[in-house]
Amino acid sequence: MAELTAFSFQPGTSLLHKLDVRFKLLFLILISLVSLGGGSTGLGVLTGLVAGLSIHSRLPLKSGFKEFRFFLIFLVLILVARMLTTPGTALIEIKSIAITRSGLISGVLICWRLVIIALLGFLFVFTTPSSEIKAAVEWFLKPAAFIPGKRIATMMGLIARFIPVILNQAKETAEAQRARCVENRRNPLYRLVRLGVPLIRRTFEQADRLIVALEARCYSENRTDPALSATRTDWFALFIITIICGWILSS
Amino acid sequence: MDIIEIKNLKHRFTDGTLGLDGINLKIRAGAFVVVAGPNGSGKTTLIRHLNGLLLPTDGCVKVAGVSVQKDLMRARRLVGMMFQDADSQIVGETVYGDVAFGPENLRLNHDQIRERVALALDVVGLKDFAEQRPHLLSGGEKRRLAIAGILAMEPRVIAFDEPFASLDYPGVKQVLRQILTLHQAGHTILVITHDLEKVLAHADRLILMQKGKIVRDGVPAEIVGDIETFGVRAPCAFHLGMEVRSWLN
Repeated sequence: MAELTAFSFQPGTSLLHKLDVRFKLLFLILISLVSLGGGSTGLGVLTGLVAGLSIHSRLPLKSGFKEFRFFLIFLVLILVARMLTTPGTALIEIKSIAITRSGLISGVLICWRLVIIALLGFLFVFTTPSSEIKAAVEWFLKPAAFIPGKRIATMMGLIARFIPVILNQAKETAEAQRARCVENRRNPLYRLVRLGVPLIRRTFEQADRLIVALEARCYSENRTDPALSATRTDWFALFIITIICGWILSS
Repeated sequence: MDIIEIKNLKHRFTDGTLGLDGINLKIRAGAFVVVAGPNGSGKTTLIRHLNGLLLPTDGCVKVAGVSVQKDLMRARRLVGMMFQDADSQIVGETVYGDVAFGPENLRLNHDQIRERVALALDVVGLKDFAEQRPHLLSGGEKRRLAIAGILAMEPRVIAFDEPFASLDYPGVKQVLRQILTLHQAGHTILVITHDLEKVLAHADRLILMQKGKIVRDGVPAEIVGDIETFGVRAPCAFHLGMEVRSWLN
């Protein structure tokens, strides 16, 4: 049986699974924007919210963490860069290089915000089928007549459909290379090229096959989209999220 | 009545290779046809012309009396196609979502879509898997899901491209049983394979292809004799001088 990446939709019955996709998209944007301006208290509240939702939605945090490992390297780089480049009181000083207290605080806050945003995205993808994401994007873009909403929504739907496929293929290719002792090669550039070239080739081949399959089933931009309907729960959730965001901004 | 009519079909790929070379073929509605041939003989290229996934360089393909080129959507609705790699055919994130994909493209309303999906899942025995993630199904179940996705579009012809590839014995039996059920329900069945063992007992016509041409066409028992000269292995039973029997017996 195929093992799927954690970055894919998983059917379920949690609150997030039941919420209207348009509200979820709005929450994702709102919370991401607010987290950019929030301090440690606000970020603490958002972390509690995201953690609660992750547990309730049964987000596979363990496998998700594995997939986040490259993102974590990126976070470490940001933290180091902030610590070394922000002026302030030095915590540690080695020759002319100084790690500052304000750099450490600002680096931690930035990384914290990025983790919250990434987890929110993860939750969104995990609880929303790509057909619904497409329908929501189309709905939001409808008033802007000059933007080709259907086309953009279709492209987003296909991207959402394709990310797990690419990640899955990356994993398979990496495993096949590990089976042939690629780990003995210490040069990361060599390993990156050896992984990247076949991965890109396979991704294009897979894209070709997918396109043929889509065409065979009459795929077009004008199709019956999922019915979107807001319930009382959606409006109540919007009320709660708005209050939390307002409080974070004002504190 | 002939549901498929092909006249002097030629197809040349963009690199100049001749994929099909003057194919003439008529298939009557309700037939069970096996198209066999070695790799690269043009089997897949031929069936991809039936619903306009490939268009002729020369010649004409008609489905139910209308040229495929004239009305691509009609051809794709009438000719369902199951691909060799069932995984690449799965586009939905749930079993239900995947089967609903075709009817959604036909712009049916939500009630009609629900009705068609329920019926298709019932036919292939995947009703209880509706909320399951398709990629977690077994090989045989994935093939059945692909069949359900096709059935939901209510086609008259169903073409199977190597339907038994990489399936275990129970998987082969599941898919074969499904194909026979569809044939009994009145669908025209085309099975593209180089492995005749599993399906020949049920076919009423065998077409043999080589280098983009039809080299033999007739009742299986009459042409299976010299089939190995064209690079296709004859069923074991034939070598033993016995009648080719169904895998379902």
